[in-house]
Amino acid sequence: MRLECSGLNFAYPESETMVIQDLWFAMDGPGFHAVFGPSGVGKTSFAKLLANYRDRPELPIQTSGIGTILYSYNLERLPGWSSTGRHLDRICPADRQDLKKELIDIFQLGPVLGARFSQLSMGQQNRMNLIRYLLQDFDLLILDESLANVDEKLRQAILLAVKELFSHKMFLYISHNLMEVARFCKDILVLTEPSREKPSKIVSGQDDTRISVLEKPSLDRIMLEVMSAF
Amino acid sequence: MLFRRIYQFMIVYAVFLAILLVVKKGLSLSDYVIPGLSLILETAVQMSAGFFTDVMDTLSVAILGQGISIFLAFFVGILGRKSSWAGSMIRVTAYNIQAYPIVALAPIIFILLGDGFLSRLLIAAMICYFPLLLSVLGVMAAPVEDIEHFYIATGRMRWQLEVKIRAFENLSKLTTVIAGSATLAMAGTIVAEFIAANAGIGYSIRIALYQSDLAAILTALFMIGIVISVYQGILETLGEMVKAKWGSENKGVLL
Repeated sequence: MRLECSGLNFAYPESETMVIQDLWFAMDGPGFHAVFGPSGVGKTSFAKLLANYRDRPELPIQTSGIGTILYSYNLERLPGWSSTGRHLDRICPADRQDLKKELIDIFQLGPVLGARFSQLSMGQQNRMNLIRYLLQDFDLLILDESLANVDEKLRQAILLAVKELFSHKMFLYISHNLMEVARFCKDILVLTEPSREKPSKIVSGQDDTRISVLEKPSLDRIMLEVMSAF
Repeated sequence: MLFRRIYQFMIVYAVFLAILLVVKKGLSLSDYVIPGLSLILETAVQMSAGFFTDVMDTLSVAILGQGISIFLAFFVGILGRKSSWAGSMIRVTAYNIQAYPIVALAPIIFILLGDGFLSRLLIAAMICYFPLLLSVLGVMAAPVEDIEHFYIATGRMRWQLEVKIRAFENLSKLTTVIAGSATLAMAGTIVAEFIAANAGIGYSIRIALYQSDLAAILTALFMIGIVISVYQGILETLGEMVKAKWGSENKGVLL
């Protein structure tokens, strides 16, 4: 699996301001990779371009071993006409019923399956949304703040479980939580504002696969490297 | 909601009547111009039953006309929701036609179809159709991206699901527009009856007008007001029930 970008430029139509300028990077292999950077730096724009890059052949994005790309984000909603449990039943392929149950347990959503989406807390809504993506066919799943409003302990448990259950899939995790990104992700693409004319770069993360004692010096070094990259 | 509509109408009607009586008193007008309260009550007792039947006749045409408009508005609205050239053409045509005063076409309908039931029905349907269509088009043409994204990305989106999502996300707007269009349908039917029909409360008002019988007209207006208030109240109650059962906005405490 390889995701490569060679000199991507992007500006919204009728705007002269570049959102992404001359972006070069490559990410290899399955696992959790991250896109990090301050607000407004183009993370979501990049994620949307990547999710639809096959419809725009002019974009300098190449992939190998990656078929289906899905993009999930934290403002998504499920329709309100039936319970969230019924929605999950409808969108879950027949051969993934066990996986669905396991994910519901890990994401701690069992007690709210009978509720409508609008009745859930924001954290529950984001977890529910993520589950339905994980039940689909995908090779690369982009998680744009998909675990926002979830408490840290549960978020860590979810990240580790997803890494274990979907070890053969590629994830692109967009988050503003530097420690989480540094600790659980493999490659961290640090985006910088085009106006600063500082090239975006890849920083290697710690890529933890289990909750262990923090290797603080190593984590500090990664976080410092990320912070100094923008 | 039903009772609120009725007593709101009662208050407005009473104020209107009081103003008429004050004008009568202030200008010392004769009973021929503005009848006194006793004459109004006497006429009401005499004519209420007949007028009630007439209003129900008008209402039945209005309900049928409204039903046809709702069906057509959703049919065309669903066809016109796409950003294709056909969808754009439907939307532009609808916006242009609704700018024309449809009631001005009524004489043509009476010439072609005569002064019977069909003409009244067609005019009622035409008058409430375009406002309904514009609302339905507005709802159906606006994507609900936060919900639709998943279904599009995973290849699950079908036109039925798209329509369902957009309708349910705009239940409030649609139920309000449908309840509001009841008044338009009733107005359309009454206008048709004024012009040339041979039945309904509009026809009775026309007769009262020729006889300069303001007491009969006031009685007819009271009947129309009460019946339309009840009908709108029922529609709004039904709308609230639908929203409570299906609407996406019904947040609540779960645990």
